[in-house]
Amino acid sequence: MNSRLTSPTLRGDTRSPKAAQTRRVARFKGQLGAYLFLLPGAFLFIAFIVWPMLYSLHISFYNWKIVHPEQSVYIGFQNYIDALTDPIFQRSVLNTLLYGLVTVPGQLVFGTLVALLLNDRFPGRAFFRTVYYLPVITSWVIVTSLFEYLFNGQAGLVNFILQSVGLIHAPIRWLADARLVMVPLTLLGIWKGVGWTAVIVLAGLQSIPTQLYEAAAIDGANLRQRLRRITLPLLRSTFVFLVVVLTIGALNVYISGLLIDRAGSLQDEAHFVLTWMDKQTFENFNFGQGAAISYLLTLVVFVVSLIQIRLLQPESDNS
Amino acid sequence: MQRKSFGLVILTIICVLTASLSVAPTHAADVVTITYWHTHSAPEAAQLTKLIAMFEKDNPNIKIQDTAYAYNDFQKALLTSIAGGQAPDTARMDIVWVPQFAQQGALLQLDSAMSDFKTISDATFPGALATNYWDGKYWGLPLDTNTQVLLWNQKVFQAAGITAPPATVQEFADDACKLTSTANGSHQYGYAMGGTYFWAIAPLFYSMGGKIVDDKLTTATGYINGKESAAVFQMIVDLYNKGCLSPSLLGGGIGTEQGHGTGAYAMIIDGPWMVDLYKQDFPTFQPAFAPIPAGVGTQNSSVVGGEDVVVSASTPHQAEALTWVRYLMSSKAQVFMGQVGIVPTLSALTGSKDLPAYYQVFMTQLQTAQARLPNPKWGAMDDAINAAFTKMLKGDAKVQDALDQAATTINGLLAAK
Repeated sequence: MNSRLTSPTLRGDTRSPKAAQTRRVARFKGQLGAYLFLLPGAFLFIAFIVWPMLYSLHISFYNWKIVHPEQSVYIGFQNYIDALTDPIFQRSVLNTLLYGLVTVPGQLVFGTLVALLLNDRFPGRAFFRTVYYLPVITSWVIVTSLFEYLFNGQAGLVNFILQSVGLIHAPIRWLADARLVMVPLTLLGIWKGVGWTAVIVLAGLQSIPTQLYEAAAIDGANLRQRLRRITLPLLRSTFVFLVVVLTIGALNVYISGLLIDRAGSLQDEAHFVLTWMDKQTFENFNFGQGAAISYLLTLVVFVVSLIQIRLLQPESDNS
Repeated sequence: MQRKSFGLVILTIICVLTASLSVAPTHAADVVTITYWHTHSAPEAAQLTKLIAMFEKDNPNIKIQDTAYAYNDFQKALLTSIAGGQAPDTARMDIVWVPQFAQQGALLQLDSAMSDFKTISDATFPGALATNYWDGKYWGLPLDTNTQVLLWNQKVFQAAGITAPPATVQEFADDACKLTSTANGSHQYGYAMGGTYFWAIAPLFYSMGGKIVDDKLTTATGYINGKESAAVFQMIVDLYNKGCLSPSLLGGGIGTEQGHGTGAYAMIIDGPWMVDLYKQDFPTFQPAFAPIPAGVGTQNSSVVGGEDVVVSASTPHQAEALTWVRYLMSSKAQVFMGQVGIVPTLSALTGSKDLPAYYQVFMTQLQTAQARLPNPKWGAMDDAINAAFTKMLKGDAKVQDALDQAATTINGLLAAK
């Protein structure tokens, strides 16, 4: 069969325009079913993702009037300039970056440790896997409220423990200070994300062939050497995925910031980018600037993700 | 035979459906459906359902379709519906949102659309009515209202040898410190505030003659940073520095409801909803209410809260929507909804025997209560005052300097279009 297809005569025939057209039609007919199956999904994607995104980009260049869009005034990049020169936005960017710088490594380190522990066989392993994953599936609203109680400045458990062991002499008002409030916020972010990170790392660990560890053991490699020379290098692609996804998640931090800020009366000092965008759009009715902020965030997420992928992928993958 | 019977059943169903469809348009043409969005709680919504039934009985050509939203979702839901051209015909919205939605062109100007607007509005509390005023026009009517009064814990007062709640601000400040103690290892504060946002300080602010801007809404200079306004903030900062005011107002502390109910806070200033909250959370606690203490040479005052009823500018059923609004503003409807904790806006109902007894103190206070600034930029102005207040409390700025900065920010917001 292969010899017929590769014969010079047949190859010559297939290059004729008529044959090429026939082949294209046949190929299209063959793929028609696939296109039809893709159509509903593509339609929904365009209608509910692409179109709103483009419309939002359009809004970002206007002083937007929501009831009478036709009265909206085109102001070019003014919304972007206003956002970038706004001290509250600048503060929100710093807060978001700080949150990411703490929570991403935190989740990675603790998630990996938990995954390494859960990878071993021991009684009750399934129970512990469930326990570590529980925060992931618990509502952000509920766990944020829990952390509000834990870090209450007058009657919180954290202050009580710290005072009991003599680490502090007076209660710390965690939720009343824009810098201190980052402690419960980042701890919450790490605690809630460890379970998910552990599951991904665990999947990576279980894909490593056991023969490699057996061979290393025969060669006399100890636990630390096996971790450094086998486990971590083979988890590289898992870590790249985790760093990118966790960073995107950190840059999109929203609910915990919104709720803890409200509880603490911190006004605009403790905003994250998304909470500030939400306030500008839905409380201040500054729709143009809200759209501009969302595009600035999208740009940052895109650039950061690109840099991370380029830096973390092995040389061979970059080529 | 079985197939024949099945065919007959199908034929009968088709005939019935066709007949009902042929009748439906005639009925639909006569009855107009008015949509009404609100944020009533479950017991209030149940009472509203009964009110709607009463209205529909009196107005058989109008059907009210109400939808309840959670407060936190409501503003977004309204915005989305307006942007999508599906705004509700009528809505009950937070008083501070009215100027914002009016500025967007979403609301019907009621003082021009209703020939009897003056008659209805004259019967309401002036402070509640003022929340509907923006750009020289009225965009809604005060549907229900509330204000804040002083709550004093009688047991704590008696233990400190004080027999009555403070009548003046000076007595209030003195009592706050007398009622503060650290005995028995627990800290009891004389006074606690819910936060540093303007709503929390507003009752004392207005009672002491404070003003945010001039009457023409042109400048904040000399008003928010004027002598009277500065005196209010200075009094609160002094109480805070002396330890007589709970530090919980900066966030992350024991809430005012819990603190007052347990005796940790001798005095708080709050609204009529506290009655139900205490019934639910602290059934044995009997809250005591008193008017806001008066400032030197000023009549006591407080701040207006509540909701206004508005009509969408794009409603195709303006006449029917206004009929529903008139009904909601009627004495009958106001008393009916008043039975489930919603304070009426008709000043003539003050002292009515048809309303719960505890309304008396709130409705009396409402006679002099003032609206926060009815302005689309109020949220940002509130933030400016809030930021200034926080700086003073944390010692980051002197009272006058912080208020001067707030005045500059508010002037910028007043000038912005």
